[in-house]
Amino acid sequence: MAETRIPRGSQVRLGVVDGDLRADQHVRIQGDPKVTVKGDVRFDGSAVVTGGLECRRFRADDGTVEIAGDLIVEEDLEGRDCTLEVAGALKARRVDVDRSLSVKGPAEAEKFEVGGVLEGSQTLTARSVSVGGKFRLAGQLTADSVEAGGSAELGDVAIESLSVGGAIRMGGGQVRGSIEVGGRFLTERPLQFGSLDVGGLAEFREDGRGGSVDIGGILSANKDLAFDDLEIGGLGRIQGNGTGRNVEIGGKFDVQGSLTLTGRLEVGGAVVIGEALQAESLEIGGKLEARRAVIASAAEIGGQVNTREGLKADRIRLERKSRAYGPLVGGTVDLNRGSRVEDVYGERISLEEKVEARRVFGANVRMREGAHAEEVTYTGTLELAAGATVSRPPQKVASLPAFPL
Amino acid sequence: MLNERDEGRAGAKRREATDLFATVLEVVKRYHGAARITRVSYGAGMPVDRLRNLVDRLVRLGLLRVEEIDGRPAYDITPRGQEFLTTYWKMRGFIESLEANPDDRVSRRRS
Repeated sequence: MAETRIPRGSQVRLGVVDGDLRADQHVRIQGDPKVTVKGDVRFDGSAVVTGGLECRRFRADDGTVEIAGDLIVEEDLEGRDCTLEVAGALKARRVDVDRSLSVKGPAEAEKFEVGGVLEGSQTLTARSVSVGGKFRLAGQLTADSVEAGGSAELGDVAIESLSVGGAIRMGGGQVRGSIEVGGRFLTERPLQFGSLDVGGLAEFREDGRGGSVDIGGILSANKDLAFDDLEIGGLGRIQGNGTGRNVEIGGKFDVQGSLTLTGRLEVGGAVVIGEALQAESLEIGGKLEARRAVIASAAEIGGQVNTREGLKADRIRLERKSRAYGPLVGGTVDLNRGSRVEDVYGERISLEEKVEARRVFGANVRMREGAHAEEVTYTGTLELAAGATVSRPPQKVASLPAFPL
Repeated sequence: MLNERDEGRAGAKRREATDLFATVLEVVKRYHGAARITRVSYGAGMPVDRLRNLVDRLVRLGLLRVEEIDGRPAYDITPRGQEFLTTYWKMRGFIESLEANPDDRVSRRRS
């Protein structure tokens, strides 16, 4: 196929080129109004095309190539040690640029691979996008997999998976599979996601809904957050409501609304819930505060639980020296040695050695040595060990008062 | 919570050696075994000569491995390198959470 050569530093006007086009460095090509090359285009250095360019294959080496219009490449686009700036739309099969690529119009290819920086002012559609450094896109991103080693600033997305090494700031939309971010994650609009794994900080400015969420550092959600499983190593804050299956908190977790779980809440650190907590089971090694907590099966408290309206569970167990402020309401309530509680309601209530309670209302109540209650009201049996004390005479009644919650 | 100053690295004020390690490893990871030194230099924003020293060090430490592809070295992250990255980001998260709320430190010791 014939080759048209443009020598170094020259300026030419081209319309249709029948074969290949090869341009030396510092050339200026004027499109009439665009340049259509039937074969391949190769730039051996910096060049400016003052119009659109269409070709079969595109290659640029060592320099900056500026295309003032659309760049349409039938097959592959390759840039070696090259910066490519496209003022219009970009369309190619595969795009592979070492240094940086900037596109002002819509960009579309099966694959974008850019070593340094990929910038787009409008939409980008691809099967995969891989950027070594920074990826910035103002418009909608539609892709299967998106990876950036450094950082990403994106608008709304409709993608399958997203992996960013450093920091990402994005609009919203949908990531059907996983989001993996090493450093920081921020979404400004509602986001649906398959799973979210962030090493550092994660911030949702609007509602978030997804599967498992694993945050090493800080989670901050300004509205509601729905998830399957939530694990936070550091701090978490949801300003709306939280709904999900299981939650495990190593650090501190603050929900201003309600937290509704179909599974387990496990707290090694501290959890503060402004409204109601509802869960299948509860295990607290640290501290829980809530307006009320209703647990379907077992609540195990190794640390401290504070409720205004009470904690209700089928089985409540306070470990040694733990504390409960607010009523405890259970089927079975086991208070282990040295624990301190306020009012307790239950079918079977057991106060082990040195437990201190205020009022106890139960069908069957057992108090071990050194246990103390101010009042005991019961309907069935009361077992008082030697050394167990009750401030007022225990009262056996026909029926107990209505339990709270 | 995110701002321009912090954009590049979680809580980065000054890039320590470990921050540079993480930057390079994150870039290499994106190439799935075919990371060329020039590509990594563009991704990490580091000149090739300086990067070459760093990469050699990462290879010696067992965080990267190198093999020849088409007669040129290509780098890949090792399982140990991935372990470094996971630990690095987790530790940065912990540090940031402690720095964000120094009065809210939580003791996991049972009271």
